[in-house]
Amino acid sequence: MTKLLYQNAISAMTLAAALGAALTMTATPAAAAEGDNEKCYGVALKGKNDCKSGPGTSCAGSSKIDFQSDAWKSLPKGTCEKTASPTSPTGFGQLQEFKAQKS
Amino acid sequence: MPSPSHSEADLTGALPLSCRLPATAGVGLKPEHYTAVLSTYPKLGFFEIHAENYMGAGGLPHRYLSRIREDYPLSVHGVGLSIGSAKAIDEGHLDRLATLLNRYQPEVFSEHLAWSSHGGTYLNDLLPLPYTQETLTRVCSHIDRVQERLQRRMLLENPSTYVEFTQSTLSEPEFITDVLQRTGCGLLLDVNNVFVSCTNHHRDPLAYFDALPLSRVEEIHLAGFAEDRDDVGASLLIDAHGCAVASAVWNLYCQVLERTGPVATLIEWDNDIPTFERLVEEAEFADRCLATAWRTHKSSSRYE
Amino acid sequence: MRIDVSRPHGGHISLQAGMNNYEVDFTSALLDTEQPCPANLSAWNGSDPVKRFAVYRNNVVSSLIDALEDTFPVTRELVGDEFFRAMARIFITRVPPKSPVLAEYGDEFPEFIANFSPVQSVPYLADVARLEMFYLTAYHAADATPLDEASFRGALSNADALPSARLQLHPSASVLRSTYAAGSLWAAHQGTIDLATVDPYLAEEILIIRPFWEVLVVPLRPGAGRFIELLANGASFGETALAVSVAFPDFDLTTTLADIIRTGAVVAFNFNEAL
Repeated sequence: MTKLLYQNAISAMTLAAALGAALTMTATPAAAAEGDNEKCYGVALKGKNDCKSGPGTSCAGSSKIDFQSDAWKSLPKGTCEKTASPTSPTGFGQLQEFKAQKS
Repeated sequence: MPSPSHSEADLTGALPLSCRLPATAGVGLKPEHYTAVLSTYPKLGFFEIHAENYMGAGGLPHRYLSRIREDYPLSVHGVGLSIGSAKAIDEGHLDRLATLLNRYQPEVFSEHLAWSSHGGTYLNDLLPLPYTQETLTRVCSHIDRVQERLQRRMLLENPSTYVEFTQSTLSEPEFITDVLQRTGCGLLLDVNNVFVSCTNHHRDPLAYFDALPLSRVEEIHLAGFAEDRDDVGASLLIDAHGCAVASAVWNLYCQVLERTGPVATLIEWDNDIPTFERLVEEAEFADRCLATAWRTHKSSSRYE
Repeated sequence: MRIDVSRPHGGHISLQAGMNNYEVDFTSALLDTEQPCPANLSAWNGSDPVKRFAVYRNNVVSSLIDALEDTFPVTRELVGDEFFRAMARIFITRVPPKSPVLAEYGDEFPEFIANFSPVQSVPYLADVARLEMFYLTAYHAADATPLDEASFRGALSNADALPSARLQLHPSASVLRSTYAAGSLWAAHQGTIDLATVDPYLAEEILIIRPFWEVLVVPLRPGAGRFIELLANGASFGETALAVSVAFPDFDLTTTLADIIRTGAVVAFNFNEAL
């Protein structure tokens, strides 16, 4: 009857106590983000459906994909190489949300 | 304002005429300019959006559009309905379009004489079709369906094309004229597209205009093109929407306005998007052409 | 080595008789440069239509690559622009869009990346792409107002009913349970944390949510991801708290609740469901 014991362990009182404590720990829901302040709107992403055309005839569309090309040799360039040692802290202590780059 | 006297109005039966945009200049609404629009409230005739960019359920795009819509007339321009397809119109997409139009009640809705989907694949370009009696019948039945489902007239835009089909039996203006007559839809005349296509196919843009029922023009598009060369070095213009309107296109625009009178005119600039101020300047230039057109047509009873 | 770019309708195109062949020919030739230019195209000066057709080919391929670049900016930075565009181009050929709404295109890109052999040396790439797709989905998700403090207090006053209550989550919320540090890698590319402090091989659970207008990417404590998933699947408050407590010894109900309340993840407390 392990299940029953656990059910007793998470009683209504336990849930209420946890919820009550949680409410004292936090000002309510990201309330600062409401408001009419444009700054709180975050990043407006570009529209993806355009009527534009590419500027020429010979860009991506007509070239062949060749795995000998520099494109494939370049991996793993980019920023993924400069990563930290496994012991680095990850900054999860504060549990602040990550912010998107402002455009 | 020009009020096209078309006997074809009967063909649309009970479909209400769409409201009209003011016969002044507007610009395409870009997310890059949302905050600039709301902080400057420029004197513009209208904004135009691409329908498919506002088919999400919520979020910032709708938040901004709702606010801007409160203060400006709106044109909704579809880019994905694929009216020129062999297959029937995608009813699911048409439903989403109807939802969007109900939400914003735009003055006009327009789409392209082109296809973009085949066999469940969306190709994200406005692709050409041959102009034959067979494709004409098909395009008309698709437009009939769109107008019936949306319960409004639509405007059809002439395309930019880079190739022609050997099997075509009608010229593009002949094809468009027949579509307008059979379906009762209006014409969105893209003057840049006329210039691009006429250059690419070695035709006379003025003859192109003269072959169209210009009284049916309810909106004009202007945009910048890019230049390339074909296989033998002839000029091949590309409808790139990435720069200012070319002077040759401004000239054509003025010549069109002489024939149509003042018409709502959109500046399209979708690539290498300029500052909002620069875009508004381009619209102001169009407004000066429109002001001339108003003066020219003042004496004509048609425009009083 | 050349990789065979699979053809979207390769081999089994039903060649319809008559006039509609041009759509079939266009569709395969637009996505695959190995396919010949469609027949029956002409130019006024007799020039080769291939060059003119290339305008369409370029429009289709580059606009779809651009759309993926816009949706997956960090994924792109992780492998470099040239590599990303080449990889995106293969994806487009294999999984072209089905809908004209390009904000919905790219759903299958993370899975494609996970199985794409040239990126096996960047094992966390697919999870970063998953996070970016969730971000875009949250951006366009339906609006809903997070529950305010008074409503939570109201729920507390009905304590006996708490175990059977259902917490309704915000429609924009997604949880990414990554075996890599997908959230920290993403954050490092926003400049909000130092990349030098990120160990990409530490597992993370991340909540992606848009309570109001801004999308939040929130790292979660142990068990919180499971907690949110169970609530999303309709489990009651009591069932969820129990199951997660059993499965995660480090689980702390109070801080987890504080986190999800703070992020606006709860939009309603529903008490009237029959058990």
